[in-house]
Amino acid sequence: MSDKLKQIIDKQGAQQADTGLDQSDDIVQLVGFIIGDEEYAVPILAIQEIIKPFSWTRVPQVPPYVLGVFNLRGAVIPLIDLRAKFGLQAKKQSDETRFIVMRHGDDVAGFVIDRLTMAIRIKKENIGAAPDTMNSEDSVIDGVGKQADKIITLLKVNKLLERDF
Amino acid sequence: MDEFQEILQDFLVESFELVEKLDEDLVELESNPEDLELLNGIFRVAHTVKGASSFLNFDVLTHLTHHMEDVLNKARHGDLILTPDIMDVVLESIDLMKELLNVIRDTSADAGVDVAACVARLDKVSGGTGEVETPAPAAAPEPVVEAAPVAPEPEEEEPDYDNMDPDEIEAEIERLLNQRQDEDKAKRAAKIAAGESVPEAPPAPSEEPTPEPKKETAPPPPPPPPPPPVAPKPVTPKAAEPKAAAPAKKTPAVVEQTIRVDVKRLDHLMNLIGELVLAKNRLIKINDDVEERYEGEEFLEELNQVVSIVSLVTTDLQIAVMKTRMLPIGKVFNKFPRMIRDLSRELNKDIELVISGEETELDKSIVEEIGDPLVHIIRNSCDHGVETPDIRTAAGKDAKGTIDLKAYNEGNQIVIQIDDDGKGLDTDMLKNKSLEKGIITEKEADNMSDKEAFGLIFKPGFSTAAAVTSVSGRGVGMDVVKTNIEQLNGMIDIESTVGVGTSIKLKIPLTLAIIQALLVGVQEEYYAIPLASVLETVRISKDEIYTVEGKSVMRLRDEVLSLVHIGDIFEVERILDGSEHAYVVVLGLGTSKIGLIVDTLVGQEEIVIKSLGDYLKGIEGIAGATIRGDGGVTLIVDVVALMQMAKNVKATALVESASSQAGASREKTKASDYTIMIVDDSKTDRIIMRKALEPMGVTLVEASDGQEALNTLKAGDHNFDAMLIDIEMPRMDGYTLAGEIKKYNKYKNLPLIAVTSRTGKSDRMRGVESGMVEYITKPYSADYLASVVQRNVNFKSEFL
Repeated sequence: MSDKLKQIIDKQGAQQADTGLDQSDDIVQLVGFIIGDEEYAVPILAIQEIIKPFSWTRVPQVPPYVLGVFNLRGAVIPLIDLRAKFGLQAKKQSDETRFIVMRHGDDVAGFVIDRLTMAIRIKKENIGAAPDTMNSEDSVIDGVGKQADKIITLLKVNKLLERDF
Repeated sequence: MDEFQEILQDFLVESFELVEKLDEDLVELESNPEDLELLNGIFRVAHTVKGASSFLNFDVLTHLTHHMEDVLNKARHGDLILTPDIMDVVLESIDLMKELLNVIRDTSADAGVDVAACVARLDKVSGGTGEVETPAPAAAPEPVVEAAPVAPEPEEEEPDYDNMDPDEIEAEIERLLNQRQDEDKAKRAAKIAAGESVPEAPPAPSEEPTPEPKKETAPPPPPPPPPPPVAPKPVTPKAAEPKAAAPAKKTPAVVEQTIRVDVKRLDHLMNLIGELVLAKNRLIKINDDVEERYEGEEFLEELNQVVSIVSLVTTDLQIAVMKTRMLPIGKVFNKFPRMIRDLSRELNKDIELVISGEETELDKSIVEEIGDPLVHIIRNSCDHGVETPDIRTAAGKDAKGTIDLKAYNEGNQIVIQIDDDGKGLDTDMLKNKSLEKGIITEKEADNMSDKEAFGLIFKPGFSTAAAVTSVSGRGVGMDVVKTNIEQLNGMIDIESTVGVGTSIKLKIPLTLAIIQALLVGVQEEYYAIPLASVLETVRISKDEIYTVEGKSVMRLRDEVLSLVHIGDIFEVERILDGSEHAYVVVLGLGTSKIGLIVDTLVGQEEIVIKSLGDYLKGIEGIAGATIRGDGGVTLIVDVVALMQMAKNVKATALVESASSQAGASREKTKASDYTIMIVDDSKTDRIIMRKALEPMGVTLVEASDGQEALNTLKAGDHNFDAMLIDIEMPRMDGYTLAGEIKKYNKYKNLPLIAVTSRTGKSDRMRGVESGMVEYITKPYSADYLASVVQRNVNFKSEFL
């Protein structure tokens, strides 16, 4: 999966180089996914890989949304359930459940999501600030992306990867 | 200024190595003032540093070493006897020199350290013989006899810089620089010839004092002008090596072939081996599975062979790489002769340090950590252990005290043993002191074994010194020792006899990255416990677990061992709890012990410690994780933290279910050990029951209704052996109370005796249904009540 991602990124990088700088400046590439009823997105470059779920090991003394740790090719990586983190009811994992492994600097963690939607290219001007009520430093919400038929919540990867307990 | 930086780098490496050796030599010199060889060596160190620093323009350092050199030169020529007082001055100047070198390393300049006072003292010493010192000739005739390869050392034609005019000095420096550059070029050429890449020197030596892995002391084709004898980096832990550091020592005919390697590369190599070990574990597991499935197939044998070869080679490889990271512990021991010398002068004691086993090797990271604890222990031995000469003589001992410092291998561990022949540890004194300081309670003091009492010296805030000296007695040091050793997964063992001496043993695992672990299971989870902390494992039946003051304990031979369930530490949900038996893993750390109850023992496995990462770091009780043969992650138990956590864990539900049985069968030593609760709303009835039971001598607790009784029971202040319950009570009646009590697993076997005026059959039935074992109808005779109670609590006849 990560190879594929890389290929795509490389390809798109090449495209951007072709089309010139100004365009790459106003286009943001995101990966969209569903948790509960909402669609969320994170920048594609923050994603290390997307994998099918497999077993993990519970870790004691952590909040319920930290499911534990799993083995990603020899590295021990924390696994966080975004449903639980966002205060939603737990749901059984299905065929569509995925682990998204995100990276920010040296911090890496896997996040359980309900379903992937798609890679999204969105113009910067179509991204608005988060509503004032939830637009603080501590919020995990980066902004709101307006699509033709819907809106997508953009998440801050660095906040998601930040230990908050 | 790249050349300058490169030279500076070389200079620093060389100087630090020389200075390190210097301390040891100087102390040795004090006991052998006649040893000219030794003196020459020391002199040459000062001289070398002076020479190099002068052409690098480190005036302060040059100034200092110059004056040191004067003193040493006089001594060398027999004009000066090195008395301890003179040694003090010399040693002080060496300390200053170290300080200066550190400053240079950090700032590339030698400003900011005041040497004037020390120089004045040195001058006084060298002038004290009446001779006016003449620096130039003192330095010039420096004979370079035995050490041929030292020849191109820049200082060999040490001119008298003091008397040169600036132009001459410039010219001289220029010349020396050129000479040095030529040497470096030649060295590099030789290295390229030897097929080694020459990494660029880092531009800022101030940030990285250690040289990158480019030095070869003796490359196969020796470079035309052999470099100054740069002592090999510690990576080559040969005992003979340090000698090469002092240029005056005879250079061994066969120089050890060494390569300096960046520690980072070794760490990387170690990580790779770690991966390999994990893959090996996995391979072994797959092999086992395959064996089971295709039993009798021919290819199995072949597979078996391959697996065993891979596993063998992996183990060897791991040991080999571990060895490259090993350093002789002598690196740490070296600083102690000087320390003992200083201490014995300061404390007016006569102490001899005997070191053995300094060639014993330990992982680099451990060697770095072990220094501080040893300093504290040895200081402690000097200060508290060894007595002053007159006391020693009075006690019939040799006036000179001895501290034995030795290191040796024992199985998978290194033992560092510090023995002194001082006054020993007095357990009564230790206990009294701890009581005074409120570290322990009187009860604890009474129950303490000698070993535990010795362990008191490691408690924070403990100090046995009557007066705080500059050496010790602040009660900080030994506490740090314990923490540091425990961090290394080590153990401390103290033995002591009053008047004879004390022996402290530190047992430390060989390496930190890959360890042997005991895998244990609880419910569906597995945990790895470092084997170094496991003393033994025992299988017990659950009724061997007793509860004392809310804590679970068991009897292990002649000791009482406190127990904690791993499930309580790690919040494991306990769904299945069928077994009558449990396993107890006895963990030992330093001087303390604890029993960890687990469901199953899986076995011993070699595991690689991996960090949980920033997001999950600092979880109490978890030291890290490892990846098992099946690809799953297993958490590693942090034994130090676990012991701390165990203190706050109450007896577990599991243990409690056993404890009521245990409570009943527990040794009762006197009649008042039996506790019985009387529940009745009528005060008169309570008094009647009390009167009936009091003659037995049992402890009685009263409650005036069901609710109160339940609360008293839950509070857990008493361990009840039976309850006498009235049926009709306000707030909560007897049936409801019995039902409530029986909901708790741990009270399943608590005898509940109904004492009531209701005599109907249905009432009796209800009583049985709600869990009452006996039904006494009012009125009753006092004897009858007593006998029923006695029967139900298994009252011992000898108490009657």
